[in-house]
Amino acid sequence: MFEILTPLFVSLIVGGTLIGIIFGAIPGMTATMAVAVCLPLTYSLGLENGLALLLGLYVGGISGGLVPAILLGIPGTPSSITTTFDGYPMAQKGEGEKALRIGIVASLVGGLISLLVLDLFAPTLADFAIKFSYVEKFLIIFFALTVMAALSSDMLLGIFSGVLGIFISLIGTYDISRGGNGELRLVPPGTEYWLESGFSLLPVLIGLFGLAAILEQAEIGVPKGHSTKDINVGKHSRFSFGIFKGQSINLVRSSLIGTFIGILPGVGGSAASIISYTNAKTFSKRPGNFGKGEPAGIMASEAGNNGLTGGALVPLLSLGIPGDSTTALLIGAFTLQGIQVGPLFIGNNPGTWDAMIIAMLIANIAMFAMMYFAIRYFALVVTIPKHILFPVILMMCVIGAYTINYGIMFDVWTLLIFGVLGWLFTKLRLEVAPFIIGFILGPSAEIYFIKSLESFGDATIFFTKSWIAVVLWILIAGSVAGAALMSKKNKEISDEAV
Amino acid sequence: MGDLTRVTIDFDTSHLIFPTIIAIVLGLLGLAIVIRDRARIAASGSYWRESWSAMDKPRFLGALALTLLYFSLMVPVGDIWPNTGMGFLLCSVPYVLATGILFMHERGFRQILPLLIVALVGPTFVWWLFTYPLFLTLP
Repeated sequence: MFEILTPLFVSLIVGGTLIGIIFGAIPGMTATMAVAVCLPLTYSLGLENGLALLLGLYVGGISGGLVPAILLGIPGTPSSITTTFDGYPMAQKGEGEKALRIGIVASLVGGLISLLVLDLFAPTLADFAIKFSYVEKFLIIFFALTVMAALSSDMLLGIFSGVLGIFISLIGTYDISRGGNGELRLVPPGTEYWLESGFSLLPVLIGLFGLAAILEQAEIGVPKGHSTKDINVGKHSRFSFGIFKGQSINLVRSSLIGTFIGILPGVGGSAASIISYTNAKTFSKRPGNFGKGEPAGIMASEAGNNGLTGGALVPLLSLGIPGDSTTALLIGAFTLQGIQVGPLFIGNNPGTWDAMIIAMLIANIAMFAMMYFAIRYFALVVTIPKHILFPVILMMCVIGAYTINYGIMFDVWTLLIFGVLGWLFTKLRLEVAPFIIGFILGPSAEIYFIKSLESFGDATIFFTKSWIAVVLWILIAGSVAGAALMSKKNKEISDEAV
Repeated sequence: MGDLTRVTIDFDTSHLIFPTIIAIVLGLLGLAIVIRDRARIAASGSYWRESWSAMDKPRFLGALALTLLYFSLMVPVGDIWPNTGMGFLLCSVPYVLATGILFMHERGFRQILPLLIVALVGPTFVWWLFTYPLFLTLP
């Protein structure tokens, strides 16, 4: 298991974590963008080393978001939103460094607990999922899409986004290698040459998460960077681990909430931190202090969003369904190396599975060591001017899209198309996460659906195949009904407020 | 009931079944959104006008135009020196510089100098990295 621990492997994790923290610490840049931009570098690294880099980026990117959240009151990543509630007031009181260290320790706890859940739960779920036939596999995808859509801010738009993703994924030939008939569909006349295999996954991802984010920043005028004067780390507040006394339940609960939210497909880190924060406030003896600089609020938020990291890998590695946008990008790394993730992955690739667990463990420790001891330097990251970073990132996006399929210029145009589409999505209130997961799972959903009908010749098979199918239908109905009830309740609250 | 639910898949046309179902579902969802949000959609003209007036047009449209130009020129320039990656290198340097200047708020020499260095060093390093150690041909 430990023979994987070569100097290169460890360096890639540490380097990835460092770059991830920098991406996370700069508002407007995210862990997803870091993974999207660095994905092509993994091409020549091999799977284990490539994953080491990407998992470092993932853990670092999620953790780095706390720096601007606390020092500037601006979440570096969407998942740090609730860190601003108490972190920024603490920074304003001259307790910035203390708040940062509280967040860093909570991030480590969240990351390690979620890693433990990943290590224990993913192989068991995968062993169970091996028994699934086409019918259950189709229903699992259907369930994933309904959960994701149900937890979107607008259920109808969430479902529409997911189905749109499926529709676009079907462009091209019905793949013979997966049991299709090799015929083209949904391809406009004159574009057969480029769209024979549809849109490639990675240029689509890089466009949606790289170019679109920069276009959004360009639209608002690329806000000026912050100067060192804006950063108040605070010199008079000393951090002590004693502050965590009586907070172990809060830390464990928030980490587990984050992990559970991560397991649900397409539900982002912001939901993990918001739910963790709300729970911490509900169960706190001092709920009135929340929002005014309460350390327990930072602990809940950061343990929750780092809890997401391991949780989001559970459905990816056991079912082949990405838990969030960043893990959707990890599918790209597997695709590059010709490996399919799904129930058979852990059993067939024990070395890669071990490497991933070790990489996540080292990434969490590296994140803690770097951020805890060098937090004053990381605080300066927020001053890096965006007018230098963004053009370089755009260039890296081009490189990524071009090299992914050994040099196809159409992939670069795909990047532009989906970059503009991603920007347009925010204007139309459509959701990128359900879209991308629909895009990734669409071809598999088609194969499982058609093969189920071909094999059994009866549409009722989706309800009668096994008890697992029945349970999945109950879960699907439950998730839709729950979301509808929640939406109705929210509407009533907002009507009352008016 | 058994006959009603029985399905026979014709292999030759099997590629059209799922896309047709998805297109119908997409159409129905679109219709549901239009019905539900009809008031908002009817009033969306002002939303788009506000978005347009709030947009930093030089930076947004300039970034799009520069990116279009960058993508369009890379291959023709690269074809002058085939299989060397020169198309990427010679187009990336001015692209990084021009986009950086476009995104800048103060355009004095002191601000442009670091950008100029990054615009020269960044693409050159990436070109070297992909051409030599990684053996990946750029345009």
